[in-house]
Amino acid sequence: MIKEWDVIVVGGGHAGIEAALAATRIGCRVVLISAKISRIGEMSCNPAIGGIAKGTIVREIDALDGSMARSADATTLHFRMLNRRKGPAVWGPRVQSDAAEYARIQQLYIGNKGIDVIEDEVTGLDGVTEMVTGVRCRKIGTIRGKTVVLAAGTFLRGRLFRGDELWKGGRIGDISADSLERDLAERMFHVERFKTGTPARIVRSTVNTAELEVQQSEGTDFTFSFDERRPSTKEEVCYITYTDKNTMNIAKDFLHLSPLMAGRIEGTGPRYCPSYEDKVVKFPDRERHKIFVEPMGYCSRDFYLNGLSTSLPREAQISMVRSLPGFRRAEISDYGYAVEYSYFDFSEIDDTLRLRRTENVFAAGQICGTSGYEEAAGLGLIAGANAGRFAKNLELLKLSRMNSYIGVMIDDIVSKGADEPYRMFSSRAENRLHLRQDNADRRLYKSGDRFGILSQEKRELLHSSLKEADTIGNILDSETVDGTRISKWCRRPGISVEDVVARSHSLIDRDKRVLASVLLDEKYRGYIERNLRRHESSRNLENISLRRIGSYMEIDEICWEAREVLERDRPDTMARAEKIPGIRPTDLHGLLIYLGRQGST
Amino acid sequence: MNTISPEIICAVATPEGTSALSVIRVSGKGSFDLLEKIMSLEKNRLTGMRRKVGRIIEEDRTVDEVVAVSWPEGRSFTGEEMVEIICHGIPRSIREIIEILIKNGARRAEQGEFARRAFGNGRMNAVQIIALAALWDMESGQKVFNGETEDSCRKLLSGIESTRETVEGIIEFGETHLEGNEESIRSVFGELIQRAKDFNKEAASIEKSSRVMIMGPVNSGKSTLFNMLTGKGRALVSSEPGTTRDGSTCFMELSGRRVQICDTAGTDGLGLDRSASEAVIDGLDGTERVIWMSTGGKTPPADEVRERAGEIIEIAAKSDLVDKNGTEEILSVSSVSGEGIEELKIVLSRVPGSMSLSGTARRILDSIKESYRFVSAHEYDLAAEILGDTEIEARRIIGSGENIQLSVERALSGMCVGK
Repeated sequence: MIKEWDVIVVGGGHAGIEAALAATRIGCRVVLISAKISRIGEMSCNPAIGGIAKGTIVREIDALDGSMARSADATTLHFRMLNRRKGPAVWGPRVQSDAAEYARIQQLYIGNKGIDVIEDEVTGLDGVTEMVTGVRCRKIGTIRGKTVVLAAGTFLRGRLFRGDELWKGGRIGDISADSLERDLAERMFHVERFKTGTPARIVRSTVNTAELEVQQSEGTDFTFSFDERRPSTKEEVCYITYTDKNTMNIAKDFLHLSPLMAGRIEGTGPRYCPSYEDKVVKFPDRERHKIFVEPMGYCSRDFYLNGLSTSLPREAQISMVRSLPGFRRAEISDYGYAVEYSYFDFSEIDDTLRLRRTENVFAAGQICGTSGYEEAAGLGLIAGANAGRFAKNLELLKLSRMNSYIGVMIDDIVSKGADEPYRMFSSRAENRLHLRQDNADRRLYKSGDRFGILSQEKRELLHSSLKEADTIGNILDSETVDGTRISKWCRRPGISVEDVVARSHSLIDRDKRVLASVLLDEKYRGYIERNLRRHESSRNLENISLRRIGSYMEIDEICWEAREVLERDRPDTMARAEKIPGIRPTDLHGLLIYLGRQGST
Repeated sequence: MNTISPEIICAVATPEGTSALSVIRVSGKGSFDLLEKIMSLEKNRLTGMRRKVGRIIEEDRTVDEVVAVSWPEGRSFTGEEMVEIICHGIPRSIREIIEILIKNGARRAEQGEFARRAFGNGRMNAVQIIALAALWDMESGQKVFNGETEDSCRKLLSGIESTRETVEGIIEFGETHLEGNEESIRSVFGELIQRAKDFNKEAASIEKSSRVMIMGPVNSGKSTLFNMLTGKGRALVSSEPGTTRDGSTCFMELSGRRVQICDTAGTDGLGLDRSASEAVIDGLDGTERVIWMSTGGKTPPADEVRERAGEIIEIAAKSDLVDKNGTEEILSVSSVSGEGIEELKIVLSRVPGSMSLSGTARRILDSIKESYRFVSAHEYDLAAEILGDTEIEARRIIGSGENIQLSVERALSGMCVGK
């Protein structure tokens, strides 16, 4: 066995897989340690990838040569482009995947890339916190590595709840990483608790789908990956059903047995993916909630009930499920439950996803306080890439929030923190009109190249998209329609790709996907440029350090209230000062004058 | 290095001439010490909020017996340490007190400097300053600023915020959990547009005093003059986005003042369309200026106009066509030769300048309407983007963003010393 690996990845979920693969692409020897290797790549909750903003993250991951997009494409059963009638900047591709197949393919990627896999429980970091030398495992002892990526998901002192049932575990059927959590606590890392949950799985043959609304797939033309390979030809339909007054009343009757309501769970749950009992409490007037019925796989045994996440006791769950139309005789194969777990407080993580108090430990996924497969994978990719770069003595890198959702997410979680599991929304991105799913390849080519995480094949593919976009851009700028340059003419409302092609022969042979994307660049250009200017001016403030200031109370150029607030918060930079409530632009000007005077004496 | 403190400024805050009492304002760190020194107040020191009676003594001679009222930093009009000296309204002694203050380290305040400091120290926001400027401009003084405009701006802002939340909600959850919201968006926008209109009215009402209406009989050259004054390519026309002319209204900058010029050409002053011109005259509320135009100055202003206008500037138009009649009160202007235009601008620049508040209000209304158009066209992404900008714009009115700072400078330049 190897004496020392470049990168040790702890955890084999969506974050761990991308981390291991990214570090491998940089040229590192990587070992992935999982408590149960047969479950690497498992979709622990719903069998779906993508959604609004999340789907764009998946395409960003593909542009950075990650595996999530390709594995989703290979296992797609059902596709929808969400928000198709809300504007192209907020389109969200979403697929139902065959969950078991997805995990199998992810495991194949891990194996094919020569990543070592060890089945063991990591019980702690090894060596001093500032510079660890590896990790300690329960069975095989110490494993040495130059860097460590922690991607333990919900396993850090994971506790599972259902009614008054309580187990230790990060997921049903798995262990809880209590020792690792204790080791981190002893090393004085600040951890907090979050909770999340999953609904019951239903035996498909016991559901009368004839009573359900059918939600058809939009077809299988779409691929997350810019490779545009489509190995999956299998299709499934999804269904929709609704809760009613009975469902609500059952939940109400059992509410006192909910671990959440009884106070046994202290962690905060995701506001935007709440359990059904949460909904009943928060919206007591709304009886009807939409429930999406999604097959776990192609011709699979089970259905997933999207929208009915619950940790109520078993008898409540079966009654609630049977109150749904089409589910009168339904049988539950796996009951829903809630999980409470530890995550790192945002103050522990820096913008390269390294734990601030260490040189060589990185974190990714739910232990950073996020929620969702796509978010985890995005973080994993960056944490793995930076861990790999550290091992190779290369500069650590970050993504700008103006250029990718992954950049927005990292910036948000390390600068603001979250008081609930962080889910990506398109509205979190101030440059949303630029962060589209159609241009992720062009947006991230440069970053991927700088990180050194693109395979030769991927680099060539992305580079050809960029070149194609350049060619198309030149045509749009040089040719005219009715005396107006096409680049301007195409901004008019209601102009389609076909309309543009019809007006320019040079465009007939161009790549239509890239053309459509470039046309959107033109449509949003003015807004995007203004956003970038605005960001640039606030970045100037970022470069002004306030650390030299001794006492704000002595600065006469700013008003008294501002002095007190600044003295209390002591911001690092002018940009941080600007964000403090109660600080006015005049105070910032005053600070600038003060700093100017200080500098000149 | 000494700690830098803003200079102490002083100025007379009451009108010139002899009166029973006058008030001299002193503001800036060290004002208390200064007053203690010139009033010899060692024992009864000015601290906090106090009122002290004393004598201002210069070379053993009592200049005046005064009352000094002190406000501590953070609680005064300017937000700084501040003293108001209530003295006798005798021009000679007032002058002397000012000189003594200057000899002891104060300097004369510039126009509007007290209000500027109040703004800079966060004691007043832009709306308040603009309203204050407008209030001072108004000779009648019956209009009292009571924060209504600020309230309606805050209401508008909260409306923009909640509308944006609704739009974002439809984007994020419309497909899954928020069905039906797309229907309610119509009424959400309807309500918001109404709030924006209300704010427009408020903004317009505090800016009215700066309006100049061009009126006169048919074919007297009103539109030609309007175009001449505001014409394209001239540096006079504000380049600020949103303050676009809608054909009959334009904001001009004259000697640093902002003046709104309205052409009544569309309604033809007192011409053929009687009902339309009546509407224009009804719109005059005694504070507005009217440029009355007639060919060669031969048609005097109509009686209705005389009754309702605040001030009338009579113009003899088409001076290139008629003989000069020599009347001094009537300005001769030729829109063809350009004669008299510069003189007219000087006259107009004496009109109290006002702010771009109504321009901003109009811009906000337009943006909200544009956002709604995008919603109707199923372009929620752009609708949300525009609402986001509108929110920043509305925030700037209440806070003190950089754009507003410029506007406030303009308002301040119209104030007199001591305010």
